[in-house]
Amino acid sequence: MKTQKLLFMVPLLIAFSTGYGQDSTQTERNKNLLSSAPGNTKMLLTGSGFFGFYVNKDKDAKFNFNAFRFAPVFLWKISDKLFFESELELDNGEFALEFTKLSFVLNKYMTLGAGQMLTPFGAYGERFEPPLTEKFPNTPIRPKSPYLPGSNHLVWGAVMGMDVRGGIPLGSAKMNYSLFLDNGPSLDKSNGMVDYENFDDNNTNKEIGGRIGLLPFSNSSLEIGFSGRYGIAGDQGDLVYGKIGATAYAVDLSYVKSIEAIKSTINIRGQFNTLTVDKANYYLTDSTTYTFDNTMQNYYMQFSIRPTMAHSKCLKKTELMFRYNAITAPQDAVWAAKDNNGKGGTITRIDIGLVYWLNWRTGLRFAYEITSNPNGKQTKEILARFVMGF
Amino acid sequence: MKKLTSLSIAFIVGIGTIIIINSCATTANIAAKTGTQLWGENCIRCHNAPPSSDYSPAQWETIGMHMKLRANLTDDETNKIVAFLKSSN
Repeated sequence: MKTQKLLFMVPLLIAFSTGYGQDSTQTERNKNLLSSAPGNTKMLLTGSGFFGFYVNKDKDAKFNFNAFRFAPVFLWKISDKLFFESELELDNGEFALEFTKLSFVLNKYMTLGAGQMLTPFGAYGERFEPPLTEKFPNTPIRPKSPYLPGSNHLVWGAVMGMDVRGGIPLGSAKMNYSLFLDNGPSLDKSNGMVDYENFDDNNTNKEIGGRIGLLPFSNSSLEIGFSGRYGIAGDQGDLVYGKIGATAYAVDLSYVKSIEAIKSTINIRGQFNTLTVDKANYYLTDSTTYTFDNTMQNYYMQFSIRPTMAHSKCLKKTELMFRYNAITAPQDAVWAAKDNNGKGGTITRIDIGLVYWLNWRTGLRFAYEITSNPNGKQTKEILARFVMGF
Repeated sequence: MKKLTSLSIAFIVGIGTIIIINSCATTANIAAKTGTQLWGENCIRCHNAPPSSDYSPAQWETIGMHMKLRANLTDDETNKIVAFLKSSN
């Protein structure tokens, strides 16, 4: 009797599961059809624009309306697995593609991406550099005019390549990761600096790198990230510089917490970077050569406080900020900022800032920056920027 | 070297302070959190939290995927935050 019952139940179960399977498949099909119907395209135009000025008594134009940018971002969720994102930048008369990336979701914990992408090295470049998230009207100090030569040495920016990334829950904590393979840096043979925005590679070698982020608290308030990257920077076949490599590491930290006792939300951000380019001989203007330990370091630490729980509407919209920045160029490099004894030293900058938020993505931002050079010279500048997100 | 030591000390002191402040918070399993909680905790890590009325449900799906990739949110967090924003839109 038992056998008979079993024999009766098995076809029933098969029929039920097949029917359920067909039903699920049909539901999935309907869902897909609906999502591709006109009016349901998941494409979004977002981005930001800003306008600003500076006041600096040491410059020729002491008061200058000099900063403007329009940066539309195109986001397109093609399907539940496929995603496209791209940002254009019209910045002070220049037009550039900031990033263009296509991503494919492999599973819950891993997404594969390829294209021109913001570098997953440290947290600043991907998360805090966009005008919507950078609360100051300026960026942390980096090797760029007026501080040092170069423009893409030890900085955030975009690279050409591919990455895998994802977030992993760990009970009351979580972690995330990004691993990338890209063209890698190219070496400037005149000064030993590298350019990470190497969109048309100068050699066959590819750079590898990545970042691991740890969020130890269940409220996700603290994230500590560790990053590393290595690649050959010299030109393919170059007998002198062909094997010169560049290695960089970074540690980043961000912390956000609303504290009832002070009716405020505090935000701490920071990042430390170090980049070493292998030792090589470089030419001086008189055609003689010299060499130096080519390691550069920079870091910033930022603190801001906003009385989000205050009664006053005006106070709620105000955020006060402080940031300390420093950059140390290779001591013996001819292009390093020198102290009074002719040795390379550290340039530091203090930024004191204020934002008045008009809404969650639009704000008036002000900063007073004091830059100190190794030779004791100090420059001061007031910056203002009106940033609007859309 | 001296600067690096100072920096390391500042880093350790900073982390210690953060741990002390956070020790007041109740530890909870992230998987048990609602979309509202996750929205409040995760968006402000980089920017002010947006109101749900700013975008349509379809747009929230697109933004959710963008944020999942940019901030490396977990799949579960993303789904819950997007569901919350769509439902309260």
